[in-house]
Amino acid sequence: MSAAPQTRPGMAITGVGLAVPGVDDPADLRTGGWQPTAPAVDPAARLGRRGLRYKDRATQLALCAARDALADALVLTEDGPTVDPESVAVVVSSNLGNLDTVCRVADTIGAEGVSGTSPMDLPNASSNVIASSVAIRFGLRGPNLTVCNGAPSGLDAVRWATRLIAAGRAELAVVVGVETDNEVVRRLLGPGPHFDGAAAVVVEAAGPAAARGIAARAELGRYVRAADLAGCLRELGPEPPETSWCLPDGLADEPLTGAVTRIPDSAAATGVLQCVVAAVRADAGTVRAVAGSRHGAGTAVLELRPAGAVPARTAPAGHTVAAAG
Amino acid sequence: MSARIAGMGAVCSVGGTVAETFDALCAGRSGLRPLVGFDPSRYRARSAYEVADRAPGTDLPYRATHLLETAIAEAVRQAGIGDDLAAVPVLVGTGLRELRSVELWWRDGLGVDATRLHFGTALRERFGATDVHTVANACSASLHTLALGADLIDADEADTVVVAGVDVLTESMFGLLDRFNQEPPDRVRPFDRNRRGVLMGDGAAAVVLRRDRDGDEPAPLVRLRAVGLNCDATHVTAPDPRGIAAAITQAHRAAGLKAADVDLVLLHGTGTVLNDDAESAAMTAAFGEHVGSPVMTAIKSMTGHTSGASGLLGVVVATESLRSGLVPPTPGLDDPAEPALSFRFAGGAAQRPVAMSVAQVNAFGFGGVNAVAILERRP
Repeated sequence: MSAAPQTRPGMAITGVGLAVPGVDDPADLRTGGWQPTAPAVDPAARLGRRGLRYKDRATQLALCAARDALADALVLTEDGPTVDPESVAVVVSSNLGNLDTVCRVADTIGAEGVSGTSPMDLPNASSNVIASSVAIRFGLRGPNLTVCNGAPSGLDAVRWATRLIAAGRAELAVVVGVETDNEVVRRLLGPGPHFDGAAAVVVEAAGPAAARGIAARAELGRYVRAADLAGCLRELGPEPPETSWCLPDGLADEPLTGAVTRIPDSAAATGVLQCVVAAVRADAGTVRAVAGSRHGAGTAVLELRPAGAVPARTAPAGHTVAAAG
Repeated sequence: MSARIAGMGAVCSVGGTVAETFDALCAGRSGLRPLVGFDPSRYRARSAYEVADRAPGTDLPYRATHLLETAIAEAVRQAGIGDDLAAVPVLVGTGLRELRSVELWWRDGLGVDATRLHFGTALRERFGATDVHTVANACSASLHTLALGADLIDADEADTVVVAGVDVLTESMFGLLDRFNQEPPDRVRPFDRNRRGVLMGDGAAAVVLRRDRDGDEPAPLVRLRAVGLNCDATHVTAPDPRGIAAAITQAHRAAGLKAADVDLVLLHGTGTVLNDDAESAAMTAAFGEHVGSPVMTAIKSMTGHTSGASGLLGVVVATESLRSGLVPPTPGLDDPAEPALSFRFAGGAAQRPVAMSVAQVNAFGFGGVNAVAILERRP
C-alpha cells in the first residue's frame, strides 16, 4: 500500500518565467501559443552576452527563465534581492541538458586523447551545472538540487521544492525545467524537432508570500506518484467539480473523463511548463497536471488551483534586502 | 530528525559488501589498479579505483545501475524489509547518472535506452519501486538524497525510505579531471603535502532509513541526527570555505550539538590542493579551538573519488565505525599539509577500538553544493 496522497496546504506559485520558442509572454499560453516552427530562443538577446561564455545551451536557457520568474515574483528587483539569498533554493529538472558536452568530450578523447579537451568543459560534464549556474548568477545560497528523473521529473522538481520549504530548508525556491535540441538528442530520441527551451516557477508558502505583498498565481494542491496514471487516480480519489487535466502529447489519457489540455512533450521540462500553463489560466477550477512514463516506471500528478487574473506587479518601494556579503 | 539506519549496502573497489568494504578500509587496503574500462593510451593518468567486474580493455553499459541494485539489495536484506519496494520511496544521488552508457552508445555504438538514463526504470523492474527519484547533485548527491529521505520521514510522508548513491567512471569526467591535474596523481593522497589531485572510483551505497522507535532494534542503534545543505553560489568548480563552514554549522545546529561534541569526522578529502585546503579552512572555522579534538579520516585514499556515492559511502563507514569503535586510516597521508596540521587523523591499521557517539560526514560538490550529515550512536 502506498502512503495517502500528500497534501501541501498553503504552497503557491508566485512567479513564472519562460524561454520558449515563439512565446513572448507566459500569458500567451492561455490560448495555446505554441509555435513549433518559431525561431530558437537567443539567450544573449535576452540576458546580454556577459556571463554566458562557456555556458552550455541548457544553462543559458535556464538562466533566461529563472531570471524572469524571480523578477515576476519580485524576488529580484532593479534594486537587488527582496528576500534573504540564503533562504532561496534552486531546483532544476533536466534529462538531456549536458549530453552534448559529454558526447563531444568523449569524441575528443577518442580522437586526440585528453590533451585535446578544454578545461572549460569540466563544469559542463557534471549534470548539476545548470542549477549551480542559476545559483551563482543570482546569488542564491539555499539548497541546490538537480532532478534528472525521466518523464515526471518536472513535477517531481516542484514537489521537492515544496518539501525543502516545508522542512524549513528554504523560504522559497525557483524551479526550472529545461531541455535542449541538438545532434545527440536527435540521435537518442528521433529526428525531432525536440523541445529547446526552459520554464521556471517561483514556489513559496502562501502566508509569507502574502506577507511580502505578493499575490499567488496558483495554489499547489496534492502531488501523487504511482507506476502509472491509473495508480495515481486510485490515490487521488474522485475528481472535484470543474477539474481539468493537462497532459503532454503522446501520454495516453485513459481512463480520464474530464477535459484534457495538451502541451508539447518537453521531457523533464514538461512538469514545470504545465505549472506555468496552469498559473496563467484566468479561469477557476482545479488543474491536474500529469507527467509520466509510458512504460510504467513512474507517473506523477500535481494539482494546481489557478488564482485567476493577477494584477500587474510593481516592486514595493523600500523593500529590498541589502546585497549579501 | 527521527530516522535510524536500519540497513546498509555498499560496493566499491575494495569490497562488494558493507563488511568487506569496512574490513578492507580498516586494514588500509587500496582499490587502485591500472585502468580497466578505458583505453589508457588516451590519458595521462593510467590508474583508477574501479570495481573489478569486467575483463581488461572492455566496458559494459549500465554498470552504475548494476552497482546500485547490488547495494540496495544488501541494504533491504539487512533491514529485513523484503525486496518489494512498491510502497517505499527510493532516492538515488548520483553525479554522472548513466552517462557512461551514453558515451558507449554515442562513440562506440553500444545500445542505450533514454528511459535508463535515470534509475527509475531499472528499480521498477528489479524491486517494483514506483517512487524513485534520481538526483544529480555532483559529489554530494547522496547526502542530498539522505537529507530529502530524512525530511520525508520527519514530515510523516513515509515510515521507510531507501536512500542510495552511485557513480562509475565516465570518460568525459575522468578525462577532464586528468586534463585539470597539473601532473597525473600516483594515487589519492588527501591532505598530504605531496598530493597531486583526484582519481575517480566506482561505487554505490544504500541506506534504509526508518522512523526511530525505541526498543524495536538491537543496540547499538545509529540514528541520523541532521543533514545540513547549502550552496556556495560562487563558482562552478572551485569550493568556497565560507559556504562549507556554513553547511557544517547548519548541521551541528540542526542536530542540537556543538562542534566539541563531534567524535569522528569522515572528511570529503579528494586529494586536490584546492578542495583539501578549502575543507581544512572550513573545518577550522566551524570547529574553532576544537578542530583538533575529533578523530578524522579520508577514505578516498582507498576508494578513490566515488563522486555521487561518496557521501553515503562515508555514512556507511561512519555507522560501522560508531558500532565497532574502529576507524579506517588514511594511507598516503604521511606529511599533513599546513592547513590540516592540527587535525587528529586516525592512525594505522592496528588501532584499538575507541568509544564514539557522534560522527560527521562531509560531502561537497561542483557548483558549491555542500552537504554535511551528523550521526549518533545510542548506547
